[in-house]
Amino acid sequence: MITEQGVKEFLHAGGYIADDAIATAVFLALRMEKPILIEGPPGVGKTGLAKALSSALDFPLVRLQCYEGIDEGKALYDWEYGKQLLYTQLLRTQLDNYLSVSADLREAVERLSAEESLFFSKNFLVQRPILRSFLSEKRSLLLIDEIDRSDDEFEALLLECLSDFQVSIPELGVIEAKRKPLTILTSNGTRMISDALRRRCLYLYIGYPELEREVAIVRVKFPEICEDLARQMVEFLRKARELNLRKPPSVSEALDWAQVLSILKATQLTPEVVANTVGVIAKHQTDLQKVTDLAMQELS
Amino acid sequence: MERIIAGFVAALRESGIRVSPGESLDAVQALGLCGMNGRRSSRQLLRLTLVKNVNDIPTFNEVFNRYFSRFQFVDPEKNIPEIMDAALIDMEGEFSYLNQQQGDDHDEGGPLLKFDSEINPEDLQELKSLTEIDPDDSDGNEIIVQMKGYRGKAKKAPRPTRRYTQNPLTIELNKSNSIQPGITFSAEEQAAMQDVVSRMMLRLRKDMKRMKNNQNRGKLHVIKTIQKNYRHDMVPFQVALRRKRREKPRLVVLCDVSYSVSHASRFMLLLLHTLHNQMLDVRSFIYNRDIAEITEMLANMPVNDLMETIDTGDIVDLDENSSFGQVFLKFKKQYLENLRGRPAFIILGDARNNYGDANDFVLDEIREKARYMLWLTPEDRDSWSRGDCLMDLYGSYCDRVEVVKTVDELSLFVEDLLRDIYADKAEPVDREKILAAKAAEIYDSSDYYHRGVNAGIVPTFDPRGRSEWSFHPDGRSQG
Repeated sequence: MITEQGVKEFLHAGGYIADDAIATAVFLALRMEKPILIEGPPGVGKTGLAKALSSALDFPLVRLQCYEGIDEGKALYDWEYGKQLLYTQLLRTQLDNYLSVSADLREAVERLSAEESLFFSKNFLVQRPILRSFLSEKRSLLLIDEIDRSDDEFEALLLECLSDFQVSIPELGVIEAKRKPLTILTSNGTRMISDALRRRCLYLYIGYPELEREVAIVRVKFPEICEDLARQMVEFLRKARELNLRKPPSVSEALDWAQVLSILKATQLTPEVVANTVGVIAKHQTDLQKVTDLAMQELS
Repeated sequence: MERIIAGFVAALRESGIRVSPGESLDAVQALGLCGMNGRRSSRQLLRLTLVKNVNDIPTFNEVFNRYFSRFQFVDPEKNIPEIMDAALIDMEGEFSYLNQQQGDDHDEGGPLLKFDSEINPEDLQELKSLTEIDPDDSDGNEIIVQMKGYRGKAKKAPRPTRRYTQNPLTIELNKSNSIQPGITFSAEEQAAMQDVVSRMMLRLRKDMKRMKNNQNRGKLHVIKTIQKNYRHDMVPFQVALRRKRREKPRLVVLCDVSYSVSHASRFMLLLLHTLHNQMLDVRSFIYNRDIAEITEMLANMPVNDLMETIDTGDIVDLDENSSFGQVFLKFKKQYLENLRGRPAFIILGDARNNYGDANDFVLDEIREKARYMLWLTPEDRDSWSRGDCLMDLYGSYCDRVEVVKTVDELSLFVEDLLRDIYADKAEPVDREKILAAKAAEIYDSSDYYHRGVNAGIVPTFDPRGRSEWSFHPDGRSQG
């Protein structure tokens, strides 16, 4: 039996520092078998949470990256037309024999349609991510990434899958999930997601982490960065986030920066160090200037 | 406990957060699973299950603190199925509550949509006097029309009360009462705008899909088709068609925020804010005597904060007289060079230049860069050449000048514009056409031959043995 504290611990072991809200959400998602919808600014570890969970719980990760124009053929299932054609070609003689018994055309058609289900069976079904995670023998982790990039139609398509964990295929009927996957949806909030979808999920908002947690995250990923430097870095980034930048530096930028600093073997933040590495944390030309100014102001 | 949750959910709904019965059940289940470990964790559990939108989180916290200051937590010694059953029974009351709530909503209607649509008895009176005039007496008619213009103007003259409510000083006073008339937006107004815009986007998207399908028909992309059908042994089951490169719609909006048009610009800003959230490439500027870009602020700040910042005059000074000439000149110097693509321009303003230099040559330069120029003014056409109004001069550079007074009109014009950008062949939303279609539904069959295409065409009898259709303007057959 897992507890909330347990969730926190095994995520920590997987290299992910969770706060209470994240741990509770994961715990509830596991126990209530409901999907989690995660929103938040880019780079705060929405997808990272799914990856960490998958490795910590040993659930195989099934990832579905959404994009404009994604449809059921890409997300749920597809028929393997080539294979169907090949089989009908190869089985022609058998079919001839089978049908030659019938007296007239009508009977032949009837005989053939009785065997129709052969050609629309699971043999010819290509499993796309959602169906694959439903049919997996082991409980899997289904990550539907950046759902806000998909169209409304696709969102409607997901409703059935997410509330009942089943896929309706007209030719085959309803296929239910063998083990309900732990489902995580992420969104950057570029488009409003319908209430119908929100209602089916637990809602988790991950913002920028608190100071202590961010320091801990940097330290877990890059142990070679000493405590003082990590704290200095994080404090600087927190100030940079308040600068009203076009792309505020996020946790992923903090990690990139930590990596760069550890490669450069920096021991302390100085305006020069920031000026040399500013491209890692600021991603627009106007931002570069603001961040270097901040470094001059704060660190000298 | 179920009762407490049900009460809490009711309190949330009263504060405007939409919670479904299913979500309340989830909350009860979650509390049963995790147990009560203090206030913090319970709040987290309830927030996870009941709130589905970032914007609702502050409201939720507030309601939580208010509601649970009255209750002491009791550890439930029941097992989950019992709790669930009890909760279900409790919920039954909720369904009726929900239905009742919906009924109320229908009666109310959106406050935004009703905006400015009421008809004064005075207006009706004017209409009547217009029809009573003898059509032969052209002089009389003209006089009446002019008089109407003047009377309308008198009504629209700025009234002292309205001016004061828009004055920053009074806002500060009103803040303590948490009622801020005219400046910030109520939750309903924002929701209604969200609604208007998302419906607009939906309509646009549907049209676009249809047009794209039409445009692409018949143009086969051979290489892509082969690639796509590789796994079908090159049997072309799936056909790939050539796509036209879709251009991203870019908008540049110049919005006047001076007092004289603040009523219209208020909604323009809200519309812009909503459009920003809908992922369009919009660059927005506000101006009075000075011009400033607010694109970033629109994207990052809550709309009410932004309105307050604008009203305090931090971005552009509101106490100055507006000067279009200077604004255009500054726009040319600072921004015109670094506009990407060929954006469509929307300028909102009354073109009252306070007798400064017109500098209309800038509009000519903007015209060269712009794909389309639309000027929206809140003033009626008959006052465009009066006083210091340069609408006629500025208007000659624009593709279109329109009078907007309501949100509906505003959104229709913006939608029209977006349609124009997306596809040239799009049919514009034609209000008059829609109204005409509605009018045509009331069908009068008594006068069939004298209306429409067939008017005046009556078959005549030809003694030579041939029937002929001949046209007579008076609508009668030849004798």
